[in-house]
Amino acid sequence: MNEPLKPVYLDEKLVEIRADGHQDYRSKALPTWCPGCGYFSMAEGFTQSLKRLGREPEDVVVVSGIGCASRFPFFINAYGFHTLHGRTLPVATGVKQANDALTVVAVGGDGDAFAIGGGHIPHAARRNVDITYMVFDNGIYGLTKGQTSPTSVLGFTTPTTPYANGDEPLNPLMMLLAAKASWVGQAYAGNPHHLTDMMAEAIAHRGFSYLHILSPCVTFDKTTRTYKNLGMMVRDLPADHDRRNLMAAMAEATKVDRPALGVFYEEERPTLADVMDGIAERARKGIAAE
Amino acid sequence: MTGTDVQFAICGSAGDGTIAAGDILKRTMAAMGYKVIAFDIYPAEIRGFGKCISRVRVSIEQAYSLKRRSDVFLSLNDAHAIPHVGEVRDFGAVVYDDAPIATIPEGAHISAHIRPAQLPYGASFRQISDKVTGNARARNLVALGYLAGLYGMPRDAFHKTIGRKFATKAASVTQVNVRAFDAGYDAGASVFKLDDVVMAPPPVGADGSRAQMMTGNGATVRGLLDADIDCFFGYPITPATSIMERLATDLPKRGGRMLQTEDEISAIAATIGAGYAGARAATATSGPGLALMTEMMGLGVIAEVPSVTIVSQRGGPSTGLPTKTEQSDLNLAVYGGSGDAQRIVLAPTNVEGCYRCAGIAFELAEKFQTPVIVLIDLYLSNRYETVIPPEVKPFAPKAIPDAAGRSSGPFKRFAFTDDGLSPRAIPGQNGGVHTITGLEHNELGRPADQADNHQRMSRKRHDKLLAATRHPGLTVAKRFGRTGKVDVGILGWGSTFGEILEAMYAAEREGISCSAMKVVMLSPLPVHLIEPFFDDCRIVLVPELNHEGQLAHLVSGTLGRPVVRLDRVTGAPMEVDTILAEIRRLALGPAAGNAA
Repeated sequence: MNEPLKPVYLDEKLVEIRADGHQDYRSKALPTWCPGCGYFSMAEGFTQSLKRLGREPEDVVVVSGIGCASRFPFFINAYGFHTLHGRTLPVATGVKQANDALTVVAVGGDGDAFAIGGGHIPHAARRNVDITYMVFDNGIYGLTKGQTSPTSVLGFTTPTTPYANGDEPLNPLMMLLAAKASWVGQAYAGNPHHLTDMMAEAIAHRGFSYLHILSPCVTFDKTTRTYKNLGMMVRDLPADHDRRNLMAAMAEATKVDRPALGVFYEEERPTLADVMDGIAERARKGIAAE
Repeated sequence: MTGTDVQFAICGSAGDGTIAAGDILKRTMAAMGYKVIAFDIYPAEIRGFGKCISRVRVSIEQAYSLKRRSDVFLSLNDAHAIPHVGEVRDFGAVVYDDAPIATIPEGAHISAHIRPAQLPYGASFRQISDKVTGNARARNLVALGYLAGLYGMPRDAFHKTIGRKFATKAASVTQVNVRAFDAGYDAGASVFKLDDVVMAPPPVGADGSRAQMMTGNGATVRGLLDADIDCFFGYPITPATSIMERLATDLPKRGGRMLQTEDEISAIAATIGAGYAGARAATATSGPGLALMTEMMGLGVIAEVPSVTIVSQRGGPSTGLPTKTEQSDLNLAVYGGSGDAQRIVLAPTNVEGCYRCAGIAFELAEKFQTPVIVLIDLYLSNRYETVIPPEVKPFAPKAIPDAAGRSSGPFKRFAFTDDGLSPRAIPGQNGGVHTITGLEHNELGRPADQADNHQRMSRKRHDKLLAATRHPGLTVAKRFGRTGKVDVGILGWGSTFGEILEAMYAAEREGISCSAMKVVMLSPLPVHLIEPFFDDCRIVLVPELNHEGQLAHLVSGTLGRPVVRLDRVTGAPMEVDTILAEIRRLALGPAAGNAA
């Protein structure tokens, strides 16, 4: 961390980036995000993690909802399905049910996930569908120009909360832990290397993995979740954090003023596909129930 | 209808074994080679003493509606049966338990309500059951045996059905029920028959060995399975639930997957997700569920993803009449959703049609890359008809898209073509990588809102479906009865068409010049078949079970021709007499231009 900064020359950097190969996972479409948006590091981290895991673009399906974050699949070179507002998880579940061999990644923003789509989260988590759900949380509705979201802080002033937001923000990590997600982690757009590691780990996890990614909205939120504020708030999980301990994960998740980055919780248990295969086996043998 | 055509009605209280007796009767008749249609009515409550009626029509040719009048009526509970005894035709039979008459107040016994032209048969079912089985619980079997004895039906055919019905229980259960049946049979056979009901044996060569009694829901499941469905997603809702229950048992046996989702939105979302990934996927629901699904239907239309949705209608709007039949979701099925969202809607008119439509729906969904709705209703979902399933599956195998061998460059998933159908690729296929979206898009699938692009894409999605009205192997509309010019034409859809046919033939026998047409494909509308029918009819009547005349509006709006509406929302199937009376009125009445 304390090494002196070396100068970076753009042409050299581009050669280096192209040689790496992860750019093959980017589509030809130009991102529609605002300059400086945290979502650029998510696209970068995602392509790097796919490259690291060696997944072929045709074996990956990125399913998204509606919102700034949900434009994600257009910028990725993989199969993509930009669905409806809030319906990311059931569509992704259907894709995975149809073909277990696919790597299915669901992507959405905080409004897509926790407002309109909130009812689907516990069910995808408890079924342990073998997909990765990445929520890009900027605490605001960006695509509709800056309204309050379920993760906006108290007192946040927006066009729909001109007299300040009075709704307590949700705690996504606690929700997902309570819903029995088998992998729960948190990353920050301003820490791209860690973000890439977390994405790779989440995708590699067998079962439902939930990665919460904190990001600023550089256009519509100049006061609460800026790079500066988020950068000062985030911390690493304690070195001795036991990711197999649900109560320890819960305790860390309650510390919303100092969001921790890292893997909060992890467990191995049968996936939805495992359950389905078991049902098929019992059905063929004519066993109604065990 | 020639030869035997007898309708039995069995009425009792929940717990009397009314539905069970009707079930044994209809299965025995089908196994003997008769054609059967049967419909049970039971209370919405799980517990209690509500009214149950099982009606079973037995004939030589397959009938698609119940008769206006029952020939034989069996009461297992007089309090429930008295209001219905009037449905028995003159010289028909009314059979009842005569034992407790002394203890029942005057007027509460059914014998006081039988009309002079009806023939009464009293027998002591309760007593007989007590004597041969030690309790009165088997009195439904005693009464069924009495009917079989009275009309000289073969005893062993019933024994076989009873054996099959109780096959999973202890052998003694079958023995007790057979004993009760035989005791009733002896009593019935020894009675001097007064009515003119004739149960002639089935015609020589009639083979019931492969015949099955199937409900509309059962036939739908069979159709989905014979079309090799891969995935099913559903959420419980009356009257569609039995489809997912049956698939929960049968789909995993062949490696398929059934998932009960958290709501109807998830069910259709997962169905579309699975369809995108190349599976044959379906869901099933009723009107309230379809209302939730309409946003996803729009996504399926614009993203051009195949999906199959079975919709069994019930009374509406909102929670409406969950256990009563209605045909009021046509508008929702055809138009539901934001924007111009054309999709294919099929409405079978009988149980065998449910089988064919459910199976061919996948073929249509894949060929035309669109959602397909199969629209039935509670009456069709729950009624039984004799079906002989084909020995060879009659449906086309899954059309697996192939992106391999394609020239390089980005995959144009929504390429403009002459027939509007673009090349498809599914995840996992090299060379076909693309993203689909609910946003208006260009040929690559990337968001594009230019005026001429939206115009062209809208036309592509609309025009590609037109060929579906001429799809081989599918009856999209069909005319019945007299050909050429007629006075009154009756246009119908769905379960009501059985009653329409019955009324049309009755009117014809009265000398009225008439003809009927069923419309199976409601969207896109097969105008090339409906328009000539209008040309041939002086006036067109559209009977349907909704209050707004939904098919009438669809057809007259599309064709620009007037129709006469006949709308009923009683929660029950339309009465043949109601349709017949309207045909009579129109046959004497003013020309079409002055009506409506």
